[in-house]
Parts: sequence; structure tokens; C-alpha cells
Amino acid sequence: MSAQTPFRRALRSFLEQRTARVGLIIFSVLLLAAIGADVISSYDPTGVLIGVEPTAKRLAGPCINLFGCEGPQHVFGLDSNVRDVFSRVIHGARLSLQVGVLTVGFAIVIGTLIGAVAGFVGGWVDNLLMRLMDVLLAFPSLLLAIAIVTVIGPGLLNAQIAIGIVAIPIYARVMRASVLGLRDREFVSASRALGSSEAGILFRKILPNALTPIIVQGTLGIGGAILDVAALSFLGLGAQPPTPEWGSMIGGDRNLLFSSPHVVVFPGIAITLTVLAFNLIGDGLRDALDPRLQR
Amino acid sequence: MKNLRIGAISAAILMVAAACGGSSAPAAESVDFSARSWPEAGAVACAAGATGLSQITSVDESTVVFKLCAPDVAFTQKLALTNFVVNDSGYLKAHTADGSIVEKPNGTGPFSFKAWEKGSQIVLNRFDGYWGTKAKAKTAVIQWQDEAAARLLSLQSGAADAIDNVAPTDFAAISADSTLSLKAREGLNILYLGMNNAFKPFDDVRVRKAIALAVDRQRLVDTFYPGGSVVATHFTPCSIEFACEGDDWYAQDIAAAKALLAEAGYPNGFKTTLALRDKVRGYLPAPVDVATDIQAQLKAIGIDATLDVQESTTFLDNSSAGKLTGLHLLGWGADYPDPTNFLDYHFGANSSVQFGAKFDAITSALSKAGATADPAQRKALYAEANNAIRENIPMIPMVHGGSGVAFKADVAGAHSSPLGNEELSVMDPGGRDSIVWIQNGEPGGLYCADETDGESLRVCGQVQEGLFGFKTGTAEVKPLLATKCDASADLLTWTCTLQKGVKFHNGATFDASDVLDTFASIWDCSHPYHKGRTSMFEYWGLISGFLNPDACAKPAE
Repeated sequence: MSAQTPFRRALRSFLEQRTARVGLIIFSVLLLAAIGADVISSYDPTGVLIGVEPTAKRLAGPCINLFGCEGPQHVFGLDSNVRDVFSRVIHGARLSLQVGVLTVGFAIVIGTLIGAVAGFVGGWVDNLLMRLMDVLLAFPSLLLAIAIVTVIGPGLLNAQIAIGIVAIPIYARVMRASVLGLRDREFVSASRALGSSEAGILFRKILPNALTPIIVQGTLGIGGAILDVAALSFLGLGAQPPTPEWGSMIGGDRNLLFSSPHVVVFPGIAITLTVLAFNLIGDGLRDALDPRLQR
Repeated sequence: MKNLRIGAISAAILMVAAACGGSSAPAAESVDFSARSWPEAGAVACAAGATGLSQITSVDESTVVFKLCAPDVAFTQKLALTNFVVNDSGYLKAHTADGSIVEKPNGTGPFSFKAWEKGSQIVLNRFDGYWGTKAKAKTAVIQWQDEAAARLLSLQSGAADAIDNVAPTDFAAISADSTLSLKAREGLNILYLGMNNAFKPFDDVRVRKAIALAVDRQRLVDTFYPGGSVVATHFTPCSIEFACEGDDWYAQDIAAAKALLAEAGYPNGFKTTLALRDKVRGYLPAPVDVATDIQAQLKAIGIDATLDVQESTTFLDNSSAGKLTGLHLLGWGADYPDPTNFLDYHFGANSSVQFGAKFDAITSALSKAGATADPAQRKALYAEANNAIRENIPMIPMVHGGSGVAFKADVAGAHSSPLGNEELSVMDPGGRDSIVWIQNGEPGGLYCADETDGESLRVCGQVQEGLFGFKTGTAEVKPLLATKCDASADLLTWTCTLQKGVKFHNGATFDASDVLDTFASIWDCSHPYHKGRTSMFEYWGLISGFLNPDACAKPAE
């Protein structure tokens, strides 16, 4: 019997968890929707259906041919601008996944660098960097993001930058803790004895071994980032109309919750499922990669 | 003997009270009325083309004379604006000094001010000393909520008796609910698509006309507006006399629009912005939705407009300062039912640079039309002005938007006003003590000479009165604190006779001095009482201009 590689062992452990599998399935569906949005959706997500649908059908509920509805099919109905909600939700998946990954990616890169340098160098550098991170953590994250967007101006990119900045301390702290646990290990001392430079030791020896917690934290963070950007867009500070962003869609039609619930319920479900998927995957990864939980 | 002693004691108490002064004590009343004028030195020497006041004189206790620099046919209608309610002289003196007049209004209206709980509500009490028909409810409570759905929930749950600006999507549900009643509000307003001819490509009238031909305004009415809304054939709503003289606006013609764009050198269209503020108004019930639809319509002729949603005040400032380089979506609600209120403000000689350089053909016709009372002349001149607007296209008039107020079905006297001047005093909330009204927003301040938002003006209108007002639920002017104002033959002198026996809420008696001090303090920037929340007194500036303008407050940079 051949010995399993750590990757295979982790993958097996991950797939053995039912909740992680559910998360993976939801994520796969979202990913497929995001990649194939142009093929899956029948209408331009930002296009008002002038000449296609009469204005009287504004806010019309779902019309599915399979269930006997005649005329152009709108699986999730039409919104307040006579646009196809399904097309907007599907394209919103592409946008949300991009937003989540890019935002967390930005925070991870900056946070990892700060945490790694602070943990490895120690002393006043560590003190200075970590106190800066403490200051950022002292603000409620969404309020700080709103303050940043207010300064740099509304827009999807600016909202991503704001959420990314707010998330930096989380990754910096995780990375610092990992580096602190590794910097005095034997393999680091060995590298140093062999004449490796300090930067080489940090980036070639320590960082690769300290990435596991960051991967777990990052996966969990993507859901949070999507939620935060949606919140900013809901408030009108993120994606601007007519961008098909889920938070912006809910925010724009929030007054129609009772009269035309489909315009807010479907993007709401999409946000919920996406965040749930990333949380389940993140939990699964944590359980699979944490050596203390190895069975 | 006993009566004499009581009388002497009462007189002594009154003298002490008068000597102590204070905000709650009635202002000291002069026994002998002395005639006064403002400016005291004599009437202002009117420069050529000047408009507005030249002098105000309180001739006797119940007579005030306004002298004007130029004839003004809409003078009494302007006096009916809630901005020009009359304040007690003593109250002005005491409360402009410390600024408390902004938060504690005093007036002669059917309700007296009780409390302003910031962020929550304003409470008014019935004024039992009111000179006219007393308010039906003991208390009026005015609250605010910017979400239409939340306002409706408050009405349905019984927390409110009336809500303003019902969402168009809720009209059907409210009409079908037997416990509620809906009062539609006539669209005495205009939504327009503005362009500034100081910037390319809008400096070319062919481009402006192409856009005018490209938009499907009927589609906007059908899609986003409630019943009672109509496509604008002219800038001013047609229910206003002389408003719709001249030719109707252009009908949609995409082919002609494309041809004009090509002729102007833009065969493939161009990129621009469409600026707006996300603020619901009667003329714009769904700002972003309407803008998105216009954006889609313009794509048909190759114009790629990016929406630029700006903060409300910033947007208005940018618009007035002529800083909006692309298209912009804005509107105007009537203050008084006369074409001058719509046309002069936007296209007159003193209008802002919102649309860039002014057009002589428009300004000269408007100047002449505002200076004559002859109906035949006004008709011809407004036809000339409207045709000049149609020819030069400084903007595109889009929609006169209807809106609605919803009430509990048991509210007697429920009504809506085309000017947004609903009178709570005539409403009986089903025998309950309080009538609770929920509007869009919190007032900016309650010294309404220095306010412009409808939310502030509505509150002031319950507490205070002007020389003229509007008949309940209409835009028809009626005398209030004045019984009449007679104009001289040249329309330059207006002699107003005032009501007698009217008391302010602070106990002071209303007379001509109050009228003189009210108008003088707004008009003259160097007047000691010329102080408000911003001290800009914007409406007065638009209507009349200021005396001693060098002393006027300047807008923040």
C-alpha cells in the first residue's frame, strides 16, 4: 500500500465531509454560471427590453414556458426597468466571484507581506506594523469601508479596495502567528547555517510552510468580502447602475419587497448561496488541513 | 371699586410681563401706531431692467404698500408662497438674534409649534385663539421616513393617518384597500433632461434636437409614473394659464435623430454622462429607473451615456453652477401657478447657467410677458417664449408627474394639494386627538423664508400664514392675512389691506408693522433681523433680488 501524499490526504479528508461537498457543489454551479453567463442568459443583463416586452409587463413575475407561461421566458421575472432578472442574477454571479476573489487576493497579498515581515523581523518593526493593524481592527469593518469609499468615491473598484483594506489586518495577524511559530524551527536554523539570506529564508522557507491557515482564512473571507461589497452596493456606494451586482439590485428595488418580491428575493438567494458555499468550503478546508483534526 | 382694583393689578402684571420680554411673553404692543417705510430714507432708485421691491410702507395698522421696480402680474401669487409667511416683529427681533427662530416658529396659523424632536417628529398643538376655522385635531404630528415601503407599512399598521408620496407601484394596492383612501396629486411640475450648451457636443443645436427626437417620453409615463402623469407638451404644466401657448414639443423620430447626429458630425453617436440625484420627487418617482430607461433609449442613436448618481446637494450645486458637462435629469415643482415660476427661473434673464448661455429670443419674450397684465399680450408673448425654447432646445421637457397621498379611510377632509401644501387643520382623523402625517424627509429648518425644501415648507404652512395662501387642495390664490391687495394701473404699487383681530401664538397682535419687518428683514441683507439657517433667503433672491446685496450671505465654495 503506497503512502498518501499530504495533498491527497487533505483532499480525501475534505471530500469526506458532507457539508464541504455541499459547498463544493454550490460553488461549482456558481462557477459554471459565471463562466457560461453569456450562453445561459437569454438577454443583455443591462439591456432594457425596449421593443421586446411591453412596458405593462414591468415587474412581471416569473414566466416559465415549461409551466405553461406563453411568450418570452423570464425564469426570475422582470425588474423595475423591464430587464430580465435571471440574466442579471447570472451575470451577477460572475461579478460577485470576481469581486470576492480579487478583494481577498488583494488583502492576502498585502496582509501576508505585513504579517510575514512583522513576525520574522520582530522588535519595533513588529510593534509598529501590528499596532497599525490594531488601529484598523478597532473600527467596525463595514463602517471603515464606508468611510474609505466616501473619501475615494463610490464605484465597484473603490468598494473592492475599501473592503480589501479593511480585511488586511486579519491576514496579517494570521500570517504573523504562523511565521512566529516557524521562524525558530530547525529547518530555518539549518537554512541560516547554510548561508541563506534572511529574505530567502522568509520567502523560500517560511512562507510556503505558513500558507495553510491563510488559504483557509482566505476561503472563508471570500464569502465575507462578497457580502460586504454587496452591502456597499446596496447602500449605493459600490456598483453603480445598471451594473448587475446583487447588492445593487436589492438596494435599487428594496421598496418593492412586498409588491414584487421576485426582484429582491432572487438576488438575495444568490448572495446567501454564494456566501454559504464559501463558508462550507472554508470550514471543510480548515478541518482537512488542520493537523490537530486529522483522523 | 373691586373691578377697578382687579383692572389695576392686571395692568401692572401686563406691564411687568412686557418689561421682562422673553420668548413666551407677547411682544409689547404700541398704543399709537406710527407709519414706517423700508428703506426709511426713501424708495430705492431702480436701475434699468431691475425687478423686485423698491419700498415697503406700513401706512396704518391695517394697510401696507409695496412699491415695485417693474410691473409684476404674479405679485399676489408670489406673496402666497409659504416662504413669505408673516412673523411677529417682536419675535423676529428676539429669535433671529440667537438663531432660535430656525427651530421654534411662531405664527398666526391654526396650529402652534410645540416641539421638534430631532430625527423623530415635530409636534404641533391646535391654536385655540386662531382667527379662522379652528383645526379639527387637537394635535398634529409630522414624522418622516425616506422609504416609500416603510411609509406604507406605517399607514397600514395604524401608526400614521396619512403618508406623502406613495410609490407608484403601491397605487393599485391602496386603491383596492377599503381601509385606506388615495388622493392623487396633479402633476404641477416638470421633469426635464438638461444639457449645457457651453460644452461639446451640446453646443450644437442639431445634437440637442437629435436627443429631443430620440427620447420616448410616453414610454417613461407608461412605465414609471402613476395615473395623472402626462407627457410634457411644454415646460410649464398646461393647467397653468398661458403655459401651453405655442407649438407642442417634438414627437419621437429615431430616423430624424440619427440624421441630425450624422449632420452634426456624430454619425456613430458619442459618449457622455447622465447625472442625477437619487431623490424621489413628484416629477421623478423612480430616479435611477427613469435614468436607466433614458440611457437605454439614447443607445438607439448611438449615444452611450454613463449614469452619474450624485449626492443631492452636490448635484443641485453643480447644476446651478453649470458644471454638469453631460446630460442631467432634474425637475421643478410649482411654487405658485404662473408661467413665471417655471420659465423665468429656468430661462429668464436672471436664471442660472444650468443650460449654459441664455437665448435672447427666450429672455426678451419672458421679460415682456412678466411685465404685463394684459391676457392677450401675455398669451402672445408666452407663445413666442415657448416656441423659442422649442427652437433652441436648452433642455427637453419630459413629464409632468402625478403623485399621491394616502390616508386612512376614516380621515375626514383628506385631500392632496398640487403645490404640496396639504392643510392638516381641515383633516379630522376619525375622531382621534392626533393626526399623524409621514413625509419623505425631516425639515431643514422652520424659518421658512430661508428654506426651500417642501418638507420644511409643509410644516411652516401649518403654523404660519402669509398675506395670501392657496385654497385647500388647489393652486388658487386666496387672501389670508390680507383681505385684498389692489394694484395701481401701472402694476407698480400694491396696496394691501390687512385682517384685524389676528393674534400670533405668542399673544402679539398682528398689524402692518409685522408685515413691514417680515419683508424688510428678508429683502435687506443689512437688516438686523436678516438671519436664518443659511441666511441665503434663496426664494426671495430669485423672486425679487436683495437690497444691500454686498452684505448678503454667499454660498459656500
